[in-house]
Amino acid sequence: MPERVTEGGGAAARRPGTRLAGFGLLAAALVALPHFLSFSQKEIAVFLVINVLLVVSYRLLTLTGEWSLGHVVIMGVGGYASAIFSKALGVPVPLAMLAGAITAAAVAFVLAFPLFRMKGFYFLIGSFAAGEVIRLLWKRFRIPFGGPKGLKLIPSVPDLELGPITIDFFEPVSYYYLCLIVVSISVFILYRIERSRIGLTFHAIHWQDHLAESVGVSTWRYRTLAFVIASFFAGLSGALLAHYIGTVNPNRFDVGEMVFVLIWAIVGGTATIYGPVLGVVVLTIINEVVLRQLGFDQMRPLFYGAILIASILFLPQGLESLVGKARDAWARRGE
Amino acid sequence: MTELLLQTLVNGVYAASYMALIAVGFVLIFGVMGVINFAHGELYMAGAYAVVFVYAEREFPFFVAVAAGAIFVGLIGLLMERALFRPLRDNPLGGLIVSIGFLLILQTLAVLGFGVRMEHIPPPTQQTLNVFGIEGVILPLQRLYVIVASVLLLGGLWVFLRRSKFGVALRACAQDPEAAALQGISINQAARIAMFIGAALAGVAGALTAPLVRIHPFMGHPVIITAFIIIIVGGIGSLEGAVVAAVLYAMVHTFVTTFFDGVIADIVGLLLMLLVLVIRPTGLFGIRDRA
Amino acid sequence: MRSILKRSNISRRKFLGTTATAAVLAGVSAPNLAFGAAKTVKVGFLAPLTGEVAAWGLPGLYGCRIWAEKVNAAGGLKVGGDSYQVELVPYDNEYAPDKARTGATKLIREDGVKFIMMLGGDTWPAVQPIANRTDMLVSTLLPSDLSPDTKTLIAPCEVHPIYNVTGVEWLAQNKPGLKTTVICAQDDALGRPSVATYLAAFEAEGIDVLDTVFFDLSATDFAPIMTSMLAKKPDILCLDTAYADYVHPLCEQAFLQGFKGQIISCTADFYEKIIEKTSKEFMEGFIFQFPDFDDPALNGPQINFPDPNGFYTEYNRRWPGEWGAVSWEYASILDLWRAGAEKAGSVEPTEVLSAMKAGGKGLHAFGEAEWWGKELFGIDNALVGDWPVVVIENGKAVIKEFKSIPAWWRKHGKLLVKHFDKMGEMYYQRG
Repeated sequence: MPERVTEGGGAAARRPGTRLAGFGLLAAALVALPHFLSFSQKEIAVFLVINVLLVVSYRLLTLTGEWSLGHVVIMGVGGYASAIFSKALGVPVPLAMLAGAITAAAVAFVLAFPLFRMKGFYFLIGSFAAGEVIRLLWKRFRIPFGGPKGLKLIPSVPDLELGPITIDFFEPVSYYYLCLIVVSISVFILYRIERSRIGLTFHAIHWQDHLAESVGVSTWRYRTLAFVIASFFAGLSGALLAHYIGTVNPNRFDVGEMVFVLIWAIVGGTATIYGPVLGVVVLTIINEVVLRQLGFDQMRPLFYGAILIASILFLPQGLESLVGKARDAWARRGE
Repeated sequence: MTELLLQTLVNGVYAASYMALIAVGFVLIFGVMGVINFAHGELYMAGAYAVVFVYAEREFPFFVAVAAGAIFVGLIGLLMERALFRPLRDNPLGGLIVSIGFLLILQTLAVLGFGVRMEHIPPPTQQTLNVFGIEGVILPLQRLYVIVASVLLLGGLWVFLRRSKFGVALRACAQDPEAAALQGISINQAARIAMFIGAALAGVAGALTAPLVRIHPFMGHPVIITAFIIIIVGGIGSLEGAVVAAVLYAMVHTFVTTFFDGVIADIVGLLLMLLVLVIRPTGLFGIRDRA
Repeated sequence: MRSILKRSNISRRKFLGTTATAAVLAGVSAPNLAFGAAKTVKVGFLAPLTGEVAAWGLPGLYGCRIWAEKVNAAGGLKVGGDSYQVELVPYDNEYAPDKARTGATKLIREDGVKFIMMLGGDTWPAVQPIANRTDMLVSTLLPSDLSPDTKTLIAPCEVHPIYNVTGVEWLAQNKPGLKTTVICAQDDALGRPSVATYLAAFEAEGIDVLDTVFFDLSATDFAPIMTSMLAKKPDILCLDTAYADYVHPLCEQAFLQGFKGQIISCTADFYEKIIEKTSKEFMEGFIFQFPDFDDPALNGPQINFPDPNGFYTEYNRRWPGEWGAVSWEYASILDLWRAGAEKAGSVEPTEVLSAMKAGGKGLHAFGEAEWWGKELFGIDNALVGDWPVVVIENGKAVIKEFKSIPAWWRKHGKLLVKHFDKMGEMYYQRG
């Protein structure tokens, strides 16, 4: 992994005016986006925005140097909890979503005790094992988890009445905007955390954990903190998913799905906050739009696999490194 | 009751044999190259399909097909080493991802070549033996082949690693690649050997058990999860640990399956792994530093 | 594939009401039609086509293609004086709920399909709200998806696992000496309700169930499972609705471990390969529920499947060795839908549905049937009638008898409800 700690970039990025204009353009593009998409592409856009939150929250955990294989199960914890709160206990959906995210964070806090006795590869496998145990619990206990078929008919986000206009969140466009708002705020919070003193400590633990210990930083405490925060937002993404598709089941959160998150993060790159976002956006468009439209059908996994290999071999620093290069080239051109 | 216990023991010995073949290959690759080869289950799958092609379809003798499967899968291993893992030597996460990409390719090739439905292999032998001379305790000859092959191959590997020049080089690389390089041991050479042997072991396991298991393009998935559990229990990077853990896991799983049921056996297996992780995170035979 | 996408651009901003225009546009742009007057009706195929569950979707798509080619070559659907060519639109949902939702949206809003065939299971709950809002007619292979919440979901072909009672009934009538059994099943959405059904069926016949053994989907070694089953010394081994992948090793293990008694199973796909792995004598008398379509009994007048023998031959020519239950089931559903559309004089989903369900009776692949299911699924949307009992005789599957499911239900329905309730499989017990 590259050792860049802060977001690098050429001179252009440092000019606040340019940066603000960039964000403005991006926001405008995201707001306008659904109007250029077909119905099914709007659906894909909804899932994409949810997955952006999933993978960006995953990156926060990786800042401390730990790679988990349980993040998708934690997402599922948020989805299951939110579904149960709203369906069985009648909690209003927005509150249930928040409660789902908090549950995910709480589960992560409990898991931190055994898991952070381990590091590196051991942590990777340990998080996988913990996730599998949670999935087996979902399968085993039909009450309240619904067994192998999971839960269905999960209430959706209630219609929003704004005077004469009613916003129906079953419509992909409405839900896209809802997710866009929630995810933008979440990503902003995650960004601020990374830039805060806590975030700098995360980085320090990653690269110099013995040194950090020796100056009195409790690495266990900070690793747990990163894990809990990341899990909160993963749980939130799970809740967003559950109340949109109306169902959760153990298969949806298996290690196969986790592998996709890992792929998005690494193909995109994890040195910057936009790296994983690039990864999930580019790979989803390739897999769900391009390869499907080309009519590859059964060949789709083969091409996806080949693209993965090519991207790691030829872009080992991730797609994000292209952005840096492009920006440098642009800056040089201006000189 | 004694018969049932003995029969279960025999079943467990077989399960331990093929699990050990797979787990040892997985550990060898991880030990020498530092890569988690997620495609290991698909190498096992490729071995089984080699037998489908050579033995079931082309009607060559079964053991010719097994040998062909071992070599074929070993060559796939060499290809992976050269094309995927060597360029990513300092990037273990990258190695993990490319092995996932490769896994998708192998699965799709199997689907395209053989279809999504299960394959069939006429049994090379239907003979059974009565173990301990008891009529109720049966060991099919096909399963005995797997047990014998596993003991011979793993025994041979052990001798190779202890006695031969290559074996010593391999172990040196696993323990300290930089020091090994300083002593003139080629890392590329060691990686090639490890990858060939590790892949071929998975291939042999797939080929030998092909007449006994269900063969389909996704058969590698449960295998890789079992391999994960075994190497955690045994200790990552320890070949002896992998063998011991394979025996332990196979016995526990087989006995629980027989006396409770298969679902509970899976849960017990996972709990065993969690227990080891919590009590002794480095596994039964693990070395702390290799993480 | 490409032409479909171009059309989707045209209909991009149109809403549901405009599907008629889409159908016309489709008719115009389809190159293989010489007559401008011929119309096209699209049917969605929303099932896993890649990944581990693909074996439950892809072989069915192959069967549907054969069916569609035949029907189209014969002039297509005759609906209200028009003839329609049938166009299949597949979407690979990878057995994931979110992709199933995306697929359903594409099929309904962009392609303008009039009917969607699904495998069901994990993917159905994500499509359910869409079906409810659009009144889209959807079929499933898994009746456990049925619930009173959705009126337009039907299980018109395989009402798994209810038909399993016919095999047990036949067994008891023809081999009355067999009194004990052990059941094994994979622990999933197919295995569990099937166990409940077999428990009821065995209880109805006074056969003692000594044990029920569950195994996980990831099981690879079946020796210990069989050892534990045989330790109970049963007269009958019941393999439940084990998938073909499990039936084979289970039979092989039973053979190797010296079992000599009766076996009953829901399916026995590729049974000739099981015989190869065991012996002809061992498999003689094996009872299951899925006939080969070259069976002469399928040429009877009550059968509602066009040219079953010819379909079987063609399927085996194109996909040698791939024949199984899934191969014909989607095609059979498609044929029942065709009959419904022709009867309704319309291809609109609600009208086809009411034509299909008119009078509570319908035509099933194996003869006249009734719409049933209120007690188990909360809604009468499962089509049940006669179902064949198939027995392996001299190495070949033979239909021994068509037995009536409704007749069994009238006698023993309470037992079925009791065991469904105990297993937590009643519609009101599901998550």
